Amino acid sequence: MIPEIGYFSLVLAMGLSLLLCIFPLWGAYTGNLRLMRAAPSLAVGQCLFVLFSFAILIYVTLTDDFTVAYVAHHSSTTLPWYYKVTSTWGGHEGAILLWLVMQSSWTALVALMSNSLPWVLRARVLGVLGFLGVGFMLYTLWMSSPFERLLPYYPVEGRDLNPLLQDPGMIIHPPLLYMGYVGLSVSFAFAIAALLTGKLDNTWAKWSRPWTMVAWGFLTLGITIGSWWAYAELGWGGWWFWDPVENASLMPWLVATALLHSLAVTEKRGVFKSWTVLLAITAFSLCLLGTFIVRSGIIVSVHAFATDPDRGLYILSFLGVVVGGSLALYAMRVSEVYSEGRYRFASREVTLWANNIFLVVATLIVLLGTLLPMIHKELGLGTISIGVPFFNQMFSILVVPFALLLGIAPMMRWKQNQLPPMVKKWGGMLVLALALTALWLLPNYEYVAPMTFIATALAVWITLGTLLDVFEKASAQDSFAHGLKRLGLSYWAMVLGHIGIAFVIASVTLTSAYSVERSVSMKPGDVAQLNEYSYRFDGVKEIRGPNYSGHAGVVTVLKDDKFIVELYAEKRLYDIGMQFMTEAAIDDGFFRDLYLALGEQLSEGAWSLRIYHKPYVRWMWLGGILISLAGFMVVADKRYRRRKVKGAVA
Amino acid sequence: MNKKLLGFIPFLIFIFLCVFLYQGLFGNPRELQTGRIGQTMPSFVLPDLMDGSKQWRDTDLKGDVYLLNVWGTWCPTCIAELGYLTELRERGVRIIGLYYEQAYDPDFGDEFDINALRNEVQNMLDRAGNPYQFNILDLDRTLALDLGVSGAPETFLVDANGTILLHHTGDINPRVWRAKFAPVMQELSE
Repeated sequence: MIPEIGYFSLVLAMGLSLLLCIFPLWGAYTGNLRLMRAAPSLAVGQCLFVLFSFAILIYVTLTDDFTVAYVAHHSSTTLPWYYKVTSTWGGHEGAILLWLVMQSSWTALVALMSNSLPWVLRARVLGVLGFLGVGFMLYTLWMSSPFERLLPYYPVEGRDLNPLLQDPGMIIHPPLLYMGYVGLSVSFAFAIAALLTGKLDNTWAKWSRPWTMVAWGFLTLGITIGSWWAYAELGWGGWWFWDPVENASLMPWLVATALLHSLAVTEKRGVFKSWTVLLAITAFSLCLLGTFIVRSGIIVSVHAFATDPDRGLYILSFLGVVVGGSLALYAMRVSEVYSEGRYRFASREVTLWANNIFLVVATLIVLLGTLLPMIHKELGLGTISIGVPFFNQMFSILVVPFALLLGIAPMMRWKQNQLPPMVKKWGGMLVLALALTALWLLPNYEYVAPMTFIATALAVWITLGTLLDVFEKASAQDSFAHGLKRLGLSYWAMVLGHIGIAFVIASVTLTSAYSVERSVSMKPGDVAQLNEYSYRFDGVKEIRGPNYSGHAGVVTVLKDDKFIVELYAEKRLYDIGMQFMTEAAIDDGFFRDLYLALGEQLSEGAWSLRIYHKPYVRWMWLGGILISLAGFMVVADKRYRRRKVKGAVA
Repeated sequence: MNKKLLGFIPFLIFIFLCVFLYQGLFGNPRELQTGRIGQTMPSFVLPDLMDGSKQWRDTDLKGDVYLLNVWGTWCPTCIAELGYLTELRERGVRIIGLYYEQAYDPDFGDEFDINALRNEVQNMLDRAGNPYQFNILDLDRTLALDLGVSGAPETFLVDANGTILLHHTGDINPRVWRAKFAPVMQELSE
């Protein structure tokens, strides 16, 4: 009975979404204020019913109700309770329900926080969000309900959660990513509402900006955690694979990054309007496209998701209606949009325009790399595969001009700049960056490849440029300390975001250049040497977890005969699925990670082990966290708070 | 070109993309790796995995429909599918294993301990189910190479004359069986 209530609750939610889609849009079209005023309560109402339905799914999972197919396939009695909760989004149906939870929560939040918007715009934004809600709910109810029963025959023991997903990273990775995807639907709704209203002024950009920033912050954090999870859990020592599923989240991130820079220009200077709208539409479209790629089985990926042509066809149709419809609307309205501001070549407008170009080109590269194999096949040209080298090469070419620009862009002013003094300053910065990089790398490494040197110097260059700008802006005030205080949170967000990028560039460069690995076969007592560390194998221990058993290789790490750490590299056999999992042992550090994976048992007590030394790898996730913080900080900015208060009064 | 026409470019690109996405939806991307359908089983002479004195030839396999399942104990997906394959065996499907050793590379002078491998295989099959009539050991991966195997698990459906009817990449589960193998098996039995 209880699962049926969950299903019914979703049906009610969809009913409310349908009304949320029709009433306000119709009201805005006919100028009927009563219909428009219904929007906020409908938005909150659908959210409550979705939350209730999700609570029921968690309840049936925690109570081991294996008559529910989803629970039987993704949980088991021996699974720890927190992983039972996670299992509600560990599979396709539950993940889509989680998506609904996010979607309806964002919609409700927009409804509650938009009371200073004119009713026509507010109603249209909520109406568009209602339309998206209907699309996803219909999909859930119709073809991927997590409440399907397995009656009359049901298993006494569930099939357990995929061991790969039994990891803290997996608890938070999907919710964060969905928060980002779904958050971008708010930017999308604002863009469509603005197009429908025909008023593409900077009010729209001002409103859309904080929402976009938060969504982007979540997306950044989601991608960062996903990469960390791949590194810690998959046991191969890597962090990015250019897999279609990974690309599916990278593409919206790149476009959203372009979007929030472009939004800034539109808000402050009233230019790039039609371009910004197009980016808002594209960012969310790429989220939908990513969902389609991941869930339709159209492209072979290392990640196994539900692959089902019927579901794929639904998502594709939805994609067609949403994206096709909005691009058609865009095409009809764009000619009415005129830019107001004027600017010269040496200006912040142009540097941000260049930034957008780089980001969009990067997106196109990822999109081509992801879809080209499929298109190639459909054209009857045979099979090709585009792998890691393609992406790596394209990105290393692109990152050079992008990073050079990033180092100087914050110093550019709106409208126009005097170039000669700036060029002089940049020259000094460049010399300093090269000198610092040389001081950093040359004493530490025997061989520094030119590309490694350049890429590291770029990271230093970005950091220098950003810090110099902070220094200059703060010094412009009467006192330096006072000046620092007066820099707004939005400004600090920019600083954090850019330094975060510098960390990521440095990490990717140095880890790729100086990681070393060794595969060894060791008997208890054997010692292997890698860089300045020696690894003593002390044998294996039997281990037993709640739903797995296995071995842990015990390894003592020494440096100059001094004890550093004792590591346990585990190999687990999960009881129910009979799946082997490698649980790597990692000694993390600011400057290096020692990473150990246990391989097969060889003869006579010997085991194979893989030892990795990964310098600066942690900086990548540190950078990711800094970047996402930038997204969250902006919300706390006074600029947005003050406006809200003013709105509440009006 | 005026602004009005320019505005339609994103829309047109999207429509173009949709056509391919739609087509891609109904073409199975996993099938495109297969160039062996319709060809006859390559000839080979290879030892039995568990009994080194025994040799298998392609001619030994003829006379009955069978599945050739490429697998290894190192491959988690292979282990995952053992249960369902065992079920299939119990339903009368003839399954022959082609053991694919990943770690061993003769070109690098690796040592190979056949007894350790046999123990490991025996343990695995005892625990997870044994679907195999017998296993062929393809240490140098010559047969796998001839068959165009790119990883494991992969499964070939071969008819009584030794013609390859299907080549499936990835695990076999009830859905894959129903959708892909069952119709062909049905046709063969009629």
